[in-house]
Amino acid sequence: MIGQSTVLAAEFPPSVEDFYLPSILPWGAHDSYWFTKITLLVWVAVAAIIIFFLVSNRKPQLVPTKKQWLAESLYGFVRNNISIEMIGPRGVAFAPYLTTLFCFVLLMNFFSIVPLIQMSPNSHIAFPAILAVISYVMFLYVGMRHHGGFFKYMKAALIPPAPWFILPLLIPIEFFSTFLVRPFSLAVRLFANMFAGHMLLLVFTLGGFAMISANAWLAPVSLVSWLMTIALTGLEFLVICLQAYVFTVLTASYVQGAIADEH
Amino acid sequence: MTGQEPPSNPRGDDGQNPPDTGMGMTAVSYLLGGMLVWGGIGWLVDHYVGTKGIFAGIGAVVGIAGGVYLIVRRLGA
Repeated sequence: MIGQSTVLAAEFPPSVEDFYLPSILPWGAHDSYWFTKITLLVWVAVAAIIIFFLVSNRKPQLVPTKKQWLAESLYGFVRNNISIEMIGPRGVAFAPYLTTLFCFVLLMNFFSIVPLIQMSPNSHIAFPAILAVISYVMFLYVGMRHHGGFFKYMKAALIPPAPWFILPLLIPIEFFSTFLVRPFSLAVRLFANMFAGHMLLLVFTLGGFAMISANAWLAPVSLVSWLMTIALTGLEFLVICLQAYVFTVLTASYVQGAIADEH
Repeated sequence: MTGQEPPSNPRGDDGQNPPDTGMGMTAVSYLLGGMLVWGGIGWLVDHYVGTKGIFAGIGAVVGIAGGVYLIVRRLGA
């Protein structure tokens, strides 16, 4: 306990370095990031989602089993409450992608509060960035296909219904907010939430150790600090679900904007 | 298990209008976008002309005006 607390206290305050975990293969290397806990967790998430949906739909029954009910509820929720709600009748076509996205983000986020894992791959900007790029490319492609070509889509997306003399003022704003802010904010919103959540838990956990090892009289304050960690884990759970939902809803909203005919 | 069938008319309208959700984000991005784009262009003008920020200020105001106009045209009634 004493040894552990001094080791942990030595790392207080937590820094960005705490997000770069030691390599698994080769074991313990500090400058090799090819196979770390993060990599492992991503593969675990992918495998878990594939296996879960395969198993729960292998023998679908009219009266669903518990697993089948869960899988169908997840899909039904995303299809009815996100795809169709946001995109309209055409949204059914996007439900499989949005469900996959929702489950993947939710599970990746959820790793950040699972005891003994407590690390979300989404707290590294790379993973939200790639997810945002996929959504970005998808809504661009869908928009171009719907409007029949790159230039027609750009015309629909960039030229608002306005008199010609204001257009030079408006087109840069449209371009900025549609094609630059969207992917960036999508990635940063998810990353920053997961990063801040992990940092918050680190501060309260390590802060408890730092105080108790600095002065034994501070033990009650350390206890409060650790209780705060538990409370914040509950808050983190809320953020996890909310961010997975927001990411999916915004992707659906961008697709809707890309295939909208006229406002 | 509810909702096996997609609701035929989920938003209670004729299913053609874009939904409200996501509009708030769009409005905010228009406002910030307007300010950043034209403020940025003004800042570049400042940089080349040698003034100390007058064009950036004008640009930001003009950009906000453009953003508000866009919100009214794109998202308004």
